[in-house]
Amino acid sequence: MNSLSILVVDDDPVTRLLLEKRLAKSGCRVETASSGDEAVNFVREGFFDVVLTDLMMPGGVDGIGVLEATKNRWNQTEVILITAYASVDSAVDAMKKGASDYLTKPINFEELMLRLQKINTLKSLTKDAEGLREAMDVTEKKAAQTIQDLEIMVSDLQHTCSAIKKILADENLETTERLALSLKLLSSLAG
Amino acid sequence: MIRITPEEIALLSKYIYGTTGIDLDQKKAYLFESRLGPLVEEQGFSSYSELYYKAKVDPALERKIIDAITTKETLFFRDNGPFELLQHKILPELIDRRTAKSSGLLPVPIRIWSAACSTGQEVFSIAMVLKELLPDMTKYNIKLLGTDISDTAIAQASYGRYNQFEIERGLSRDKLLKYFNPNGGSWKIKDEIRAMASFRRLNLMLPFAGFGKFDIVFCRNVGIYFSPEDRKKLFHKILDVLERDGYLIVGSTESLAGVCSRLEPKRHLRSIFYQLKE
Repeated sequence: MNSLSILVVDDDPVTRLLLEKRLAKSGCRVETASSGDEAVNFVREGFFDVVLTDLMMPGGVDGIGVLEATKNRWNQTEVILITAYASVDSAVDAMKKGASDYLTKPINFEELMLRLQKINTLKSLTKDAEGLREAMDVTEKKAAQTIQDLEIMVSDLQHTCSAIKKILADENLETTERLALSLKLLSSLAG
Repeated sequence: MIRITPEEIALLSKYIYGTTGIDLDQKKAYLFESRLGPLVEEQGFSSYSELYYKAKVDPALERKIIDAITTKETLFFRDNGPFELLQHKILPELIDRRTAKSSGLLPVPIRIWSAACSTGQEVFSIAMVLKELLPDMTKYNIKLLGTDISDTAIAQASYGRYNQFEIERGLSRDKLLKYFNPNGGSWKIKDEIRAMASFRRLNLMLPFAGFGKFDIVFCRNVGIYFSPEDRKKLFHKILDVLERDGYLIVGSTESLAGVCSRLEPKRHLRSIFYQLKE
C-alpha cells in the first residue's frame, strides 16, 4: 500500500482532510484537489496510481469530467468515484466510462482500504507479468537470431549436397572431373 | 485447485491430442490443472476423469475444453519483423507480379491466411500494414482469412474488441487512434479494417476443405505444439494451398529444417520467409 500515489478530489474540505489523513497514515502519497478543474490540472502534470473523486462537485468540471480527463491522459490510473446513494445510476454509468469502482457516502474507510489493496495487488501482478514478458522477449529475440542463422546455413548445406550428388551422378563427366568439382564445392563450404 | 492424477493426464492428453493435435505429456500436469481445473469446478465435476467421460458425449463441453487448453498468447505486430517483411518486401513483390499478369480490368486479388490466428491480433496487424501500404484499396481484391481451433477466440476476433492489456501490447499510440474506436474501457477495431477480414473455426489437424490457394500464409507459433510427425503433415498441407510463388511465414524461433524439404528459407533484413523450391 505504501507505494500508491492518490489524488483526492472533493469540494468539501472536511472530507478532503479526513481522506488525506487516513490515506497518508496507511502509507500512501496523497495530493488533494478542491475542484474538478484543479484535479484536471494535477492529472495533466503528473501520474497518480489512483484518483479518488466525488461525483457531484460545483463548478465546471464534475467527477465524470475528472474521470474522462484522467483516462484520456493515463490509461493505467484507477479512478474511484464517491457518490451519494441517490446517484448510483450515474455511478454505474461512470463505470462504463472506465471508472474502476464507486463508493457511497458516508465513506467506509475499511472498504476503501480493501479496494486500494486490491488495486495494489493488481499493479504488482501487472509489474511481474511485464517483467516476465520482457525476459521472454529478450530470450525469444536472441533465439530467433540464432535459429534464423542456422536455418539459412542448413539450407545452403542442403543446396551444396544436392549439387554434389548431381555432379557425382553426371555420366558426361570423367570420374576425376566429378571428384574435382565435388571437392571444389565442398571446400567452398569451409568458407 | 483440484489435483490431476497421472492416469488422468494420460487419458486427457490422448483425448486432447485426438481433438486438437496438441501434444501434451506427464510433465504438463500444471497446465492441465491451471487450464482445466476451473472447468472441472465450474461444471461441478468431482474429477478430471468425469470431465473426460462427460466431454466424450457432449460436443459443447468438448469445445469448452478446447477453448481452455489452447494457448491464446498473441499480440499486435508480434516480433515486428514479419510485418516489416510484408510491407517492404513481400507485398511490393507480390503486387508487381500479380499486376503484371493481370489484364488491368479486374482488381488484383491478394489472398492472405493467418492460420491459428487466436483472438485476431495478427490478422488486424496484417490489415493495418495493407492499409498503410495501399492508399487505393479498390485496385485490389483483398481476402484476409483468420482461422483458429477455439470458438471463443474466433468470436472475439470476429467482434474485434480488445481490452486495455491486449491493446497495450504491440500497438503504437497513433496506430491505436487511427484504427480503433474506444468502446467502454476497451477498444474496437474500426469497421473499414474489420471489413477486410473474415474469421472461421478450423482444426489444423483436419483436411482443409474448400480452400483455394493463398498468396501469403502466416502459421506462427502453432507448429511448436504439435509432434514432429504432425508438424510435417501440417506444413505439407499448407504447401498444397500455397500459390506457386506464394510466401509462408512461421514463428521467429521456428525452423522448418527436416520438416518440409520442398520449402526454401529466404532472408530479408532480419526476417525469414519460405517459398516453394524451384
